[in-house]
Amino acid sequence: MKLRVQYTAQLRAVVGRAEEVVELSEGGNLAELLNLLADSHSTARPHLVTEVGQVRPSLLIVVNDSAVSAREAAKTVLYSDDIVTLLPPIAGG
Amino acid sequence: MRDLPELTPDERGRYEWQLSVRDFGEEGQRRLKNATVLVSRIGGVGGSAAMQLAAAGIGRLILVHAGNVRLNDLNRQLLMTTDWIGKPRVESAVRRLHELNPHVEIETVAENVNDSNVADLVSRCDVVVSAAPLFSERLLMNREAVRQQKPLVDSAMYELEGRLTTIIADQTPCLSCLYPEPPPNWKREFPVFAAVASTVGSLAAMEVIKLIAGVGEPLASRMLTFDLRDMTFRTVPIARQPDCPVCGA
Repeated sequence: MKLRVQYTAQLRAVVGRAEEVVELSEGGNLAELLNLLADSHSTARPHLVTEVGQVRPSLLIVVNDSAVSAREAAKTVLYSDDIVTLLPPIAGG
Repeated sequence: MRDLPELTPDERGRYEWQLSVRDFGEEGQRRLKNATVLVSRIGGVGGSAAMQLAAAGIGRLILVHAGNVRLNDLNRQLLMTTDWIGKPRVESAVRRLHELNPHVEIETVAENVNDSNVADLVSRCDVVVSAAPLFSERLLMNREAVRQQKPLVDSAMYELEGRLTTIIADQTPCLSCLYPEPPPNWKREFPVFAAVASTVGSLAAMEVIKLIAGVGEPLASRMLTFDLRDMTFRTVPIARQPDCPVCGA
C-alpha cells in the first residue's frame, strides 16, 4: 500500500524533501514505517529511531489528524493513503 | 474588578483601539495591567513576544537572557540594535520596550534559566513564555511551571516553520509529555528569518493576552504548526502521557 510521509524542520533538511510517497506492506504499522524510512534515509535515522530500532520518543508523529506517541507506534496499523507527518522537536532562539 | 488597578487617562488613550475588542474591554485591560509575564530568552521569538506584550499593556515583564548583543543576533532579535553590539541584551530590550510603552514595569535577569533561579522566577509571574533555544532550559522551565501550576506558552521555530502550544498543569500535556528526552543532534544555531520568529512570538503573546484577560480559547491540548513556505497552518490534538515524570497524568 502507498502512504504519504511529510517531513518537517530538521527532518526535511536531512531528507532533502518535504514529502514522499512510501510503499509499506499491507497491515504494516507506524514503527515499521519509521524503521523503513530510517533504512532509506541514513542521515535521518537518529531523528526517527533509537540505536535499537525503537521509535524516537522525542519525535512527534501525526497520522492524518491524530497525534500518535512513540510508544503507540507498534500498535498503530496504517492504511493505504494515510498521511504521516513527522515533527522533530524545535526550539526558540 | 475592584481589585484590579485603575487605568490612567494616558493608558485609556494608548489602548483605545483594543479597549473595544469584544469580550476584552476595560476589565481585560486592567487584568493585563495587573499581570506579570516571565519571558525566558528575549531573542527572535521571546523578544517579539515581549514587544507585543509591552504594546498591549502588560503591567510587568520579567526578561531572562544572558549575554551581550552579537552581530548575528540582528537578523531576528528585534529588541537588539546595531549600536548595542557588545552590550547586555537585556539592557537593549528595556530601552526598546520603554520607547514603545513607558508604563510597563520591566525586571531584567542577565542570566539564562537554570536550576538555581527557575523556582524563584516562576513564583513571581502569572504566565511564562518559553522561547529558549536549548531543550535543557525549556524542559526545566516546563517542570517548574507545572509544579507551580503556572500556564506556559511554549513557542518554537525552525527555518520557515513555527510551533506553539499552551501548557496548563493538570489539564494539558506538558513539554515532557511531548518530548520526554532532549532531541538527538540538536544544533544551537539553525536557519531562520526574523519574520518567522516574530510570527511565533506574536502568536505566543496573543495566547498570553487571552489567558490573562479570559478571552477566546487557549491553544490547550492542541499544537499549532505552520509553514510559511506555503502558508500552511494546522492544529493537531496532543495528549498527556500517563507516565510522564513531570505532570504524571
